Amino acid sequence: MTVDASQGTNAPGADNGMVLEARDVTVRFEGLTAVDSVNETLHRREILGLIGPNGAGKTTLVNAMTGFQRPTAGHVRLGSRVISSLTPHWIRRHGVARTFQAGRLFRDMPVSENIEVAAVSLGMSRKKAHAHAMELLEWIGLADRAALPAGILPYTDERRVGIARALAQKPQFVLLDEPAAGMSDLECDDIMHVVREIPKQFGCGVLLIEHNMRVIMGVCERIHVLDSGKTISRGTPAEVQKDPVVIKAYLGHE
Amino acid sequence: MIEANTPLLRKVRYFWPLIVLCLGLLIIVAIVDSTGDIILAQTLVEGLVRIVIVVAIYMFVGNSGIISFGHIGFVLIGAYATAWQTCCPYTREMFMPGLPTYLLNNSHHFVLAIFLGGVLAAVVALIAGFAIMRLTGIAASIGTFAFMMVFYSAYLRWSTWTSGASSVIGLPTTTTPWVGYAYAVVTITAAFLFTRSKWGLALRSSRDDEVAAKASGVNVFGQRLLAFVISAFFCGMAGGLFGHFLGMLTVDSFYLGMTFITLSMLVVGGMQSLAGAVIGVVVISVVIDVLRRLETGIGGFSIPSSSAEVGVGLILLLILILRSSGITGNAEIYWPFKRDVSSEGALRRQS
Ligand SMILES: Nc1ncnc2c1ncn2[C@@H]1O[C@H](COP(=O)(O)OP(=O)(O)O)[C@@H](O)[C@H]1O
Ligand SMILES: [Mg+2]
Repeated sequence: MTVDASQGTNAPGADNGMVLEARDVTVRFEGLTAVDSVNETLHRREILGLIGPNGAGKTTLVNAMTGFQRPTAGHVRLGSRVISSLTPHWIRRHGVARTFQAGRLFRDMPVSENIEVAAVSLGMSRKKAHAHAMELLEWIGLADRAALPAGILPYTDERRVGIARALAQKPQFVLLDEPAAGMSDLECDDIMHVVREIPKQFGCGVLLIEHNMRVIMGVCERIHVLDSGKTISRGTPAEVQKDPVVIKAYLGHE
Repeated sequence: MIEANTPLLRKVRYFWPLIVLCLGLLIIVAIVDSTGDIILAQTLVEGLVRIVIVVAIYMFVGNSGIISFGHIGFVLIGAYATAWQTCCPYTREMFMPGLPTYLLNNSHHFVLAIFLGGVLAAVVALIAGFAIMRLTGIAASIGTFAFMMVFYSAYLRWSTWTSGASSVIGLPTTTTPWVGYAYAVVTITAAFLFTRSKWGLALRSSRDDEVAAKASGVNVFGQRLLAFVISAFFCGMAGGLFGHFLGMLTVDSFYLGMTFITLSMLVVGGMQSLAGAVIGVVVISVVIDVLRRLETGIGGFSIPSSSAEVGVGLILLLILILRSSGITGNAEIYWPFKRDVSSEGALRRQS
């Protein structure tokens, strides 16, 4: 393993007691309440699952926590600082990274430069950024693809590059939006392994959005369930799986 | 086969696209210079000044992906700012009576004057860009166009500083082929280094996907503004060169005609490549020159006037329809020898 977690993150004020918090976060779109007074606290070195039927508001909550969507009410805190009105790049530079459901790689750029973009924007020189990108690609098993244009990668690799890009410069928290969607069981095992390694290698807290219950149950210590923007259940995988409200929400949508 | 194993060879390979462009231009300038043909030399200098303009536009447009219709406004600003410092010391007060006393009584050296012209354009870009760079996509493009309209109209009416609709005559014609070449090389080098810098990389990421760029920590607004200011600086210097090439200035020459020609050159060459910017200028300049000669008539044969503009328009349309990534296909000039995939140079594919 080439990535050393003991160095921690370079973000100012980083410490292991740092938390990323949503406090009564509400997001409304013209009448539709996509996220409805949601509270959650993400700690470093934990893996929190965020599940719920399609349209439950999971992506919107991640948008609100990363500066892409200003909450209509409530706020998001990083440590003692309210970050919900700050810009996405500021939030990324201060240690909260994310991936996208759609991958969103820089398609015209080589795979390595996709990661270098994040590294240079967080303060590295181009040379250091390149070495850092190669380290991350090595870690995630794509070092041999470094020189390929990102646009030609299959989507399984695309997701992994997205994760590597989010991990550039060791963020304190990383929010993964459906990294295993559409993957086979074997590919899911691979993603599960990657997600489990993130807190160990990088020391960061992980919020994992995923539909595949096997992945969620396999890697998460805690789970938060949303339905129609509201929290309907929280707890360990075993508790949530047995919760009749959760079962009903999922059956109701099938 | 040559492999890039020594540090020197690796450097040569890294700078290869730059070296080829500068050597190519050097050969053209040397050949034209040796013929002693004055008409040809005029065409050459005009082409070199256009290279400065188009490469400067490339720095912003090619890396940000935002088409600018307004950069000729910076050329205008630079051209007049230079004239204030160098033009016609004895008649300056007649052409531009509103100038401050210092400018009426003092002249600067051509190189300093051109530099300060670039600085003024950059300062204006910083202020205008503060508003325009917050826009995205087509709104930003229209914003740049509006910017040029404002400055064009203002300079037309601001006759105590610009002589308004009439010309300012008597600039020293110091832009020789070799001076033009020197500025072209400086501009191409700056564009090359900028594109490969961390700022160029960050800006290009926002061209590919603005949302993902922000999520990667890129200050998209800031990077765009930086590129806008740098490219305005070189456009401003090009304005100064242009004035010292013609020996006179009119506000009208920095307007839609020049905007059309320079953007055509960039698009025809390949908007997202430095080589494309240079090659586009060379190709379109040759086409214009040939058509202009035909317009005046060669051996009893002539074509209607304005054929040059029609010709450029047709070439532009053909490129847009058949090969929208331009002659170069948005690629840079590649290292012609064996690729050594394991070394990092191979990863620097220009995107
Ligand atoms: N920008 C937007 N404008 C309007 N409605 C939106 C917007 N983004 C999301 N929504 C709506 O908010 C709800 C939650 O969406 P989303 O957060 O994407 O759900 P999930 O990620 O859980 O599938 C959906 O009904 C969606 O249509
Ligand atoms: Mg979603």
